[in-house]
Amino acid sequence: MDYKGIGGRSGQEAEETAKDRIHRIDAYGFERPKDFDYASYEEFYSGYLEILTRRAIKWSKLLQRNNGVEKSLKVKRYIRKGIPNEHRAMIWMIVSGAQAEMDLNPGYYRKLLEGEKNDRLVEAVQTDLNRTFPDNVRFRKTSSPCLQQELYNVLVAYGHHNKNIGYCQGMNFITGYLILITRDEEKSFWLLDALIGRILPDYYSPAMIGLKTDQEVLGELIRMKIPAVADLMDSQGVMWTLVVSRWFICLFIDILPVETVLRIWDCLFYEGSKILFRVALTLIKQQQARILEAKNFPDVCDKFKEIIKGPFVMECHTFIQKIFTAPGSLSMKTINKLRDTCKARLVQG
Amino acid sequence: MSRKKSQKSRGSGGSSSSSSPAASSLPPKDGGKSCSPDSQVPLDGVVVPGRPSLSNSAEFYDLAFKVMLVGDSGVGKTCLLVRFKDGAFLAGSFISTVGIDFRNKVLNVDGVKVKLQIWDTAGQERFRSVTHAYYRDAHALLLLYDVTNKTSFDNIKAWLTEIHEYAQQDVVVMLLGNKVDSAHERVVKKEEGEKLAKEYGVPFMETSAKTGLNVDLAFMAIGKELKHRSMKIPNEPKFKLHEYVKKEVKGSGCCKS
Repeated sequence: MDYKGIGGRSGQEAEETAKDRIHRIDAYGFERPKDFDYASYEEFYSGYLEILTRRAIKWSKLLQRNNGVEKSLKVKRYIRKGIPNEHRAMIWMIVSGAQAEMDLNPGYYRKLLEGEKNDRLVEAVQTDLNRTFPDNVRFRKTSSPCLQQELYNVLVAYGHHNKNIGYCQGMNFITGYLILITRDEEKSFWLLDALIGRILPDYYSPAMIGLKTDQEVLGELIRMKIPAVADLMDSQGVMWTLVVSRWFICLFIDILPVETVLRIWDCLFYEGSKILFRVALTLIKQQQARILEAKNFPDVCDKFKEIIKGPFVMECHTFIQKIFTAPGSLSMKTINKLRDTCKARLVQG
Repeated sequence: MSRKKSQKSRGSGGSSSSSSPAASSLPPKDGGKSCSPDSQVPLDGVVVPGRPSLSNSAEFYDLAFKVMLVGDSGVGKTCLLVRFKDGAFLAGSFISTVGIDFRNKVLNVDGVKVKLQIWDTAGQERFRSVTHAYYRDAHALLLLYDVTNKTSFDNIKAWLTEIHEYAQQDVVVMLLGNKVDSAHERVVKKEEGEKLAKEYGVPFMETSAKTGLNVDLAFMAIGKELKHRSMKIPNEPKFKLHEYVKKEVKGSGCCKS
């Protein structure tokens, strides 16, 4: 896992720092960033390991039963507390409906890959292959196996499966994560289909209307729940799209730490796109005081980069607990209503 | 979007000026009450000299401007920005920009600290409808194409049309032909870039984010132009952007094109 073996070296340990004990490359193949806070991470991780162990035992008991992952309050609670990585792909497949689709359409993915290709789509995907996770050793051209081929296959297949969407930047990162977790092209394809076709609103189609709508919806939710921040954004003329478009399009990839993103996705696959608002609201609410220090436009933008760093977002377990308490109640009814009004406003121009 | 504007003008009355000492000496913000808010350049974000402001990076600056990088996907916008910001180019270390992102850099322009907030945008066509809402706030736009990619050059006209439609009339636009280090793969001649730039009356230069050729110059030229526009210093000769660029620009050397 994340720790280098430390057995039998206790004598030296005192002289070692956290940086010596923790791998430069994380469990998913990502190089840790230059400014990675090894000491805080180690402190967090030693506690998190206990949680992971406890959850792993609970999950294996749950999975031993036949109806293990039928939707239920218990499963929802379990998922909020984190899916152990060894079960993650399977649980995502089941709760998102991707498994059912895959079972209904045997051979479909292969057929897409063998079919004729749209040149423009292929070119767009190719432009981004080297620009998807260059910081991950498994996506490097020089590594073997290199996951770029899988990435290419899934994106091109998806573009032909869903011609309305084709390829939209951002899908490369999402697919990359899916491949890292599932280690399986076809499963990644069906999970991508679950996200884009069912779980998320229309974020990736050429008009990106779902994305624009949700950015506005977030603005409205902030106005209701954190009005001081909404006032600041208004007074400085900062459009939400400037600071949050990447949050929505990349589903927090490269915004928050990998482990935190995966924990968010656990909930996203089970509970739907509402989770994205919970995360956004929590980040903003928790760091409200810092945001409100901003005195001008550039400051406001800088603050939105600051609030996605630090122990608060790294400590994924506490963070996920927070997203269900900090923003207060958030019903799907409220969100749907806001989506309707915001969308109508956007369409009218 | 339209709702946003009206709220912005409502909210800009008292709170912003009282909460922001640096902005208090600004002209009335965003012209909400004046005739046509859309046709005026609200120089919001510009901090007036004499009231240094502390940014988050703890760097003082006298003036701040918004610069946007635009152009097709893969022409090297992020590389250009990283080269300017950090003086580095690490091949194979760049990720495709999704949506919109920014980096800050404070430049010393003739003794004045000018903070450029540089917005890096996704080049893919569908993102334009997300990012062009921001054009109207930009003080300068750097429009890039890739000299090894003909399509990216052919699309420049469409980009300029879009810029004219959404940006402020007096926005500073500069055309950059990037990747001139790839001399063997070049398909767009320097003269073609010059001709197009002349046609649209914008300054032009060829750049290489990889070698650094003309990168600092591009941003410095923008910084100088914006600084001279916002600070009228008596007896100072008028800054001429086109002439400055012509005088300072360096050729790519090896390649005769």
